[in-house]
Amino acid sequence: MDLMLILKAVLTLSALGLITSAVLSTAARRFYVEVDPRVEAVAAILPGSNCGACGNPSCFAVAEGIVEGTLPVNACVAGGQSCADSIAVLMGAEACAVASAVSVRACGGGNKAERAYEYGGVQSCAAVARLAGGSLVCTAGCLGYGDCVEACPFDAIAMDERGLPVIDLDACTGCGICVHNCPRGGVGLLSLVPENAPVAVRCNAHDKIKDRKAACSACCIACKKCERACPADAIHVIDALAVIDYEKCTACGTCVSVCPQNCIDIHGRAASIPPRAGDGYGKNAPGFAVQDQATE
Amino acid sequence: MSTVGQLALLFIGAALINNILLTRFIGLCPFFGVSGNFETSLGMSLAVVFVMTLASTSTWVVWTFLLEPLGVGEFLYIPAFILIIASLVQFVEMYMRKVSPVLYRAMGIYLPLITTNCAVLATATEAAKPGFFKMNIDLGASLGLGEALIYTLGVSAGFGFALISFAALRERLDIAPVPKVMKGNPMAFITAGLLSLAYVGIAGWFGL
Repeated sequence: MDLMLILKAVLTLSALGLITSAVLSTAARRFYVEVDPRVEAVAAILPGSNCGACGNPSCFAVAEGIVEGTLPVNACVAGGQSCADSIAVLMGAEACAVASAVSVRACGGGNKAERAYEYGGVQSCAAVARLAGGSLVCTAGCLGYGDCVEACPFDAIAMDERGLPVIDLDACTGCGICVHNCPRGGVGLLSLVPENAPVAVRCNAHDKIKDRKAACSACCIACKKCERACPADAIHVIDALAVIDYEKCTACGTCVSVCPQNCIDIHGRAASIPPRAGDGYGKNAPGFAVQDQATE
Repeated sequence: MSTVGQLALLFIGAALINNILLTRFIGLCPFFGVSGNFETSLGMSLAVVFVMTLASTSTWVVWTFLLEPLGVGEFLYIPAFILIIASLVQFVEMYMRKVSPVLYRAMGIYLPLITTNCAVLATATEAAKPGFFKMNIDLGASLGLGEALIYTLGVSAGFGFALISFAALRERLDIAPVPKVMKGNPMAFITAGLLSLAYVGIAGWFGL
């Protein structure tokens, strides 16, 4: 009796399973829809992090767009040149240059920056930025709680012992998510620059030089030495802060060597300036991506 | 009561008084997952109506003609129903993809999402063998196919109504001056609680 029941149950369920699988396998053939295999292939080349930097909802949507011809082969901002080249080969299109960007941090303060108060709350830049405008005296400096590290979908950012986020340029894709997640990204603490931008100013302060010096020992003091030294007229002190024009910059590195505050330093993929020997953060500083590579 | 009256009561009872989301608390994952946006909640509701109706019909047929006569239904109904509903949804997805790509795109992502959603399974089970829930209306020992369909339509209409109204509320709450700590999900949970209170109140209102 019990055996019969077990037998019945097993048979019923297997019969149901067999019938449904038969129906499904027939349907799979009967209703087969041809999908352009290139969509899958293009999707495999794209980074697949769905970062949204290109303005499309997902990497798969971009792949579809590229295959349909509604998007160019270099539509992916994050993938960069190599990604665009592979897709161009796949699609039989002519390769075209991608204006790739990388993120750059405009602050050299970190532990050197003066604190306005001792903060012991939630370890997040967004939280501390809401508490009386942040724990730093400097209103533009890096708060150092690593919201950008958390936000980066490519694991390209890490905090170093100076208390500053360091961007690994090999991994950075210029998606700009760190810029959006930085509470001071809107005022230029993190920003996107051309990937080959050779030098970067590590200060973003716009307040008075005197206040700035009191708030941080690593700030730009607007001495204009870089402006005078630059042979290409690419660097200017605007609103008491050195600003580099990457259109004109020739990567000669003069500004890096003349800056008394060491707040201009080498940046950028394939920047070919030798690392400078100097005091402070100059020579062995971890975190200056190019210098890191040179010393390792 | 006339048959039509009874069917109407069954519909109202399933849709509002025994609302599956807000008084039975079944299917809460889509209730919070896709209620952030009015459009997606509309798509989800339509997909649920569609899938629930199909699922109930098929489970009713399998229960009445296979499981019940063989006497194995009492312990086999959950695996059997899951099997049926999952393969049915797969089949419908394939069919839609071939026949109506537009509909497939509109419903595409919701269909696999609710393949064996608990609300779908519960409704299909209840339609096939009443007594699964403690209902405020008496469904009797078993339902005819017509009654089962009306019941399923009622449940899915109730699901859709609750989901869409909740999505509309959440869209308005997004721009309301809600305290910062309460923004987003905390406010949604409180809203859901208040909605649930209101729906439970309907049962008392009817004196049921």
